[in-house]
Amino acid sequence: MNHDHDASMPDGVDLRALSAFVDDELTPAERERIAALLAQHPQAAARVAAWRAQKAALRALCGAPLRDGTRHDVPNRAELPGHQASGAADEPAVIVLRPRTPWWRRAGLAACWLAVGAGLALALGPLAPRLTGGAWNGLGARAPAFAERADIAYAVYTPERRHPVEVAASEEEHLINWLSKRLNRPLSVPSLQEYGYTLVGGRLLPGETGPAAQFMYENRSGARLTLYVSGTARDETAFRLLRDGNRRTFYWISDGLGYALSGPIAEGKLRSIAVDVCSALGGKPEAWQ
Amino acid sequence: MSFEAEVISWLPQLRRYARALTGDRAWADDLVQDTAERALARWAAFRPNSNLRAWLLTILRHLYIDQLRGRREIAVDEESAPWRNLEAPQREVDGLVLRDLQRALYVLPLEQREVLLLVCVEELTYQEASQALGVPVGTVMSRLSRGREHLRVLLEGPATEPATGTAQGPARKPPLKVVRTPR
Repeated sequence: MNHDHDASMPDGVDLRALSAFVDDELTPAERERIAALLAQHPQAAARVAAWRAQKAALRALCGAPLRDGTRHDVPNRAELPGHQASGAADEPAVIVLRPRTPWWRRAGLAACWLAVGAGLALALGPLAPRLTGGAWNGLGARAPAFAERADIAYAVYTPERRHPVEVAASEEEHLINWLSKRLNRPLSVPSLQEYGYTLVGGRLLPGETGPAAQFMYENRSGARLTLYVSGTARDETAFRLLRDGNRRTFYWISDGLGYALSGPIAEGKLRSIAVDVCSALGGKPEAWQ
Repeated sequence: MSFEAEVISWLPQLRRYARALTGDRAWADDLVQDTAERALARWAAFRPNSNLRAWLLTILRHLYIDQLRGRREIAVDEESAPWRNLEAPQREVDGLVLRDLQRALYVLPLEQREVLLLVCVEELTYQEASQALGVPVGTVMSRLSRGREHLRVLLEGPATEPATGTAQGPARKPPLKVVRTPR
């Protein structure tokens, strides 16, 4: 839609000139010329009249003070009382200035925090496993295979109601001898009575580097914990946590054996049980406390 | 007059312009607040002897266009269209006529609406409008005459052509049947 040149307008008149005439933006000579032209061409005159009306209507619509075409370059606030409606009466009287910090200061501050963060990470990084109760394995570190096997074994055997174990606790001596023999080292089964868990029994499982033993405990409400023992090729003494769903497994290595205590109970509680188990089995929990 | 006081003295007009431009009172007030804030924070960017009003209008316009991108839906949905929220003042001109004008005003593309409001309502010279909009004076003139025609056609239909039924009536309305009344 091109309205610049309207076919209905006489030659020599373009709408831009008429428009400028309405706004009194023409040079005196041009104005003379257009005025003369309007006298001859009623259509052009009608257009100018329509636009003038439009201008007045727009001003009325927007609540601008009515004037007779004179320009005021000075700001005037609702100088006519009749224009209060959309004028100054309901205008917010304040402009809120939020403090604005220059970009370089914000950038500087950000850089400072970054440096502080990096420094903290460097300083506290080595302490992290201790601070998080062994839950933090370092960047990208994976739990050793025996801990994962312990976790899986827990998931597989603890739901068993009728055959949770191969050898029941009633034959505790036989159980210990049997598993000690298969793992080729003397085992002992710590008591968890203190925590309300009694031994259910144990079973032999295929482990990472050979046979592994799983001892199962149960409390009065039927909640179960397992202690998994397996030979491991790894040799580190750190005490760590593996999380899998709602199951938690604390694991550690002591004297060439990997131990893992698993259960769906609160981390803090499982941790204190694990610490006890560790020391009962001849480990040194003080090393990682 | 201090820079601050001068900025403040323009606020009522900025507010009027923002209301007309957006058709939304609350939005307009926010726009003016943002404009004033930005202007006062960036006073150093203002060249002392240039036109303060044009500078303020430029800031307001940039803010408006930014915010418009986030509120695209406004111009589309008839129910929440701006003219429903803006009350036409009832004065010399018939309220109904003003309502139609209002409706037509928001049908115009932004480029035509803003130049019409700046020149007709805010009475900026073409020179000032060209500054505020950041376009040459020639462009201001073309947009203005196109906007005027567009608005006129929206309100009256093209008066110069015989009414043929396919004429461009008010845009974005279902086509109306033209029933001639015998004279």
